[in-house]
Amino acid sequence: MNERARMSSISILPIVSSVLAIVMAFVIGGIFLEANGKDALHAYRILFERGLVNGDGLTETFKKMAPMLIVSAGLLIALRASVWNIGIDGQFMVGALLAGVAGAAVAGSVPNPLMWLIAAVAGIIGGMLWAVIPALLMVKFNLNEIITTLMMNYVAVNVCAWLVKGPFRDSSVVAPQTKQIPLADRLPFIPGTEVHIGLIVGLLCVVVVAILFRSTVYGFCLDVVGRNRKAAIHAGLPVGRLAGSALILCGAFAGLAGANDVLGIQGLFKANWDPGYGFTAFALVYLARLNSLLLIPFAFFFSFLLVGGDSMPRRADVPTYFVGMLEGLMLICFAVAVYLERRWHAISERIRGRPDDRIEPESSSGPSALEGLEISS
Amino acid sequence: MTINGIDLFDFLTAILATGLLRAVPLVLASLGDVFAQKAGLLNLGIEGMMLAGCFFGFYAAYHTESVPLGLLAGMAAGLALALLFAVLTVHLRVDQVLVGLAITIFAAGLTGYLFRDLFGGQNVSASVRPMTIRIPLLADIPIIGKALFDRQLLFYIAWLLVPIFAFVLNRTRFGLNVRAVGENPFAADAAGVNVIQVRYLAMSLAGIMAGFAGAFLAVADLKIFTIGMTVGQGFIALAITMIGGWSPWKIAFAAILFGMLNALGDSLQIIGVNVRTEFIGMFPYIGIMIAMIVLARRTSVPAALAVPYARGQR
Repeated sequence: MNERARMSSISILPIVSSVLAIVMAFVIGGIFLEANGKDALHAYRILFERGLVNGDGLTETFKKMAPMLIVSAGLLIALRASVWNIGIDGQFMVGALLAGVAGAAVAGSVPNPLMWLIAAVAGIIGGMLWAVIPALLMVKFNLNEIITTLMMNYVAVNVCAWLVKGPFRDSSVVAPQTKQIPLADRLPFIPGTEVHIGLIVGLLCVVVVAILFRSTVYGFCLDVVGRNRKAAIHAGLPVGRLAGSALILCGAFAGLAGANDVLGIQGLFKANWDPGYGFTAFALVYLARLNSLLLIPFAFFFSFLLVGGDSMPRRADVPTYFVGMLEGLMLICFAVAVYLERRWHAISERIRGRPDDRIEPESSSGPSALEGLEISS
Repeated sequence: MTINGIDLFDFLTAILATGLLRAVPLVLASLGDVFAQKAGLLNLGIEGMMLAGCFFGFYAAYHTESVPLGLLAGMAAGLALALLFAVLTVHLRVDQVLVGLAITIFAAGLTGYLFRDLFGGQNVSASVRPMTIRIPLLADIPIIGKALFDRQLLFYIAWLLVPIFAFVLNRTRFGLNVRAVGENPFAADAAGVNVIQVRYLAMSLAGIMAGFAGAFLAVADLKIFTIGMTVGQGFIALAITMIGGWSPWKIAFAAILFGMLNALGDSLQIIGVNVRTEFIGMFPYIGIMIAMIVLARRTSVPAALAVPYARGQR
């Protein structure tokens, strides 16, 4: 095999294993459905029809893509630096709440674009605020961010419910919610479609993150920290500050996603509104192999899953939770795929009889970037 | 004794009684997790294992109306997920955080699906009657009597497991092997310990205990299942294991503390103080973070935690 063919086979392999993991998850999920007395093929047809073929469904899928893209762009930054931000849900909620409050407060008194900007900034601040706490705990006290970000999620659920039932409540309606942003003042559609411009914001976020990692020193430093924390310390990088900033940036994106959903779809923040994007984003970013541009097709895929899954209870008698199960199965299959990939590399290197000295392409990811996990000590 | 018209004794009894009950799932899951963490396994699937224990325990108890069968089903569910975790992380050496979250996501989806599908999402309760034991005389002691000595059998069993687990961890061959594997798997291997086997056993124990914890919650305590009913208690148990410095005794103490924080809202309501449940609901989670800050510097983490082991690869 010549050198070029070898390089291309390396960059393709990670995507192949992600796709195989997804296929395997669908197969196992299908067997589960059949064993449970459902018509798996019918259920999958409903899933695909609603999410991909049906016109309204496709619109919904593109709408869902906006928060998926924004959240996963942020999560990519954190995971590339080996910072496990599992607190996306909390950061999203606080961002959405602040965006809802700020947006409704200025709606009507300032031009709409300015109102959107104010709400977006409020959302970003909310998300950052929620990420700053675990980031500080991680940097100053060396606390494991996995646990703190998880705990912050549950704190967020309670704090948001408390605020929306108390100080931020719109007293003119019965349900606990913030004041509504009038329909006319929400984000406009992309011309010719019924998808609001949040999708463009999402795509921009991905582009920004791609540029960050491809051509900025900061992005390069994050990658170094993520791949080998010890080496980064030896190289004199401010590892704590870099990791902390990655977590806060991730929170900012999650907060922006919250603002996006409020401005584009909901128009307000309701108590107990927690779309739970965190786990989906986690599966998304992993299957995209921590590759920024691959986020776009995978965001589309997961959006379609979520949208299609919503119609499964009614039309195929399959509870929506099936999609969550599929996501879990995908990650489990992905774990197996990562192992097989490693075996494949080891075997092919042994056949060729030379040490593994290739430079890892951006699309390769997985354990090499993740072995620096450190628990509080 | 009353303060502002509130009977302090009533409050103490209430918070002790409910607090100790709420602490049981935490202590059960943490006790198992000590072995996993001590063997070098960071098990983020614990939340999923607990939730699976809740559902399958409830499902079995609902149909058989038997507490022991419910508990067994819960433990089996926890064990099954733990074995999956062990195969992927110990054998295939895939990243533990990735696998743990995958299992939690999977279990959340699976239990939600099955509950909707089998029970139509209706809140039904299992008609089980856990055996209660009232210890004469002791149960008549004010405040602590009712809280400690008039409880169901499983309550006593759970707390009796604390010294037993402490003994196994500190005084038996298996416990020694577990600790050795978590500190330095290479040295343990060189000394003739089967690292893979020890990690499998430790993980199985952790899974069984997480399943037990979930089943206790759903079968013996609440007698109902609701989707996502663990609300992070598995993760709290994982944190308690760390806060408790991997010592069963300290873990029991921490679990009681957080059990009481969990019970604060209920206890205040019992004595007629109305505080927003959302406000009180965040106490345990904030408490965990504060406890971690206070204790972070004093505990020593198992050196090989979350590090995969492969012979001959340092």
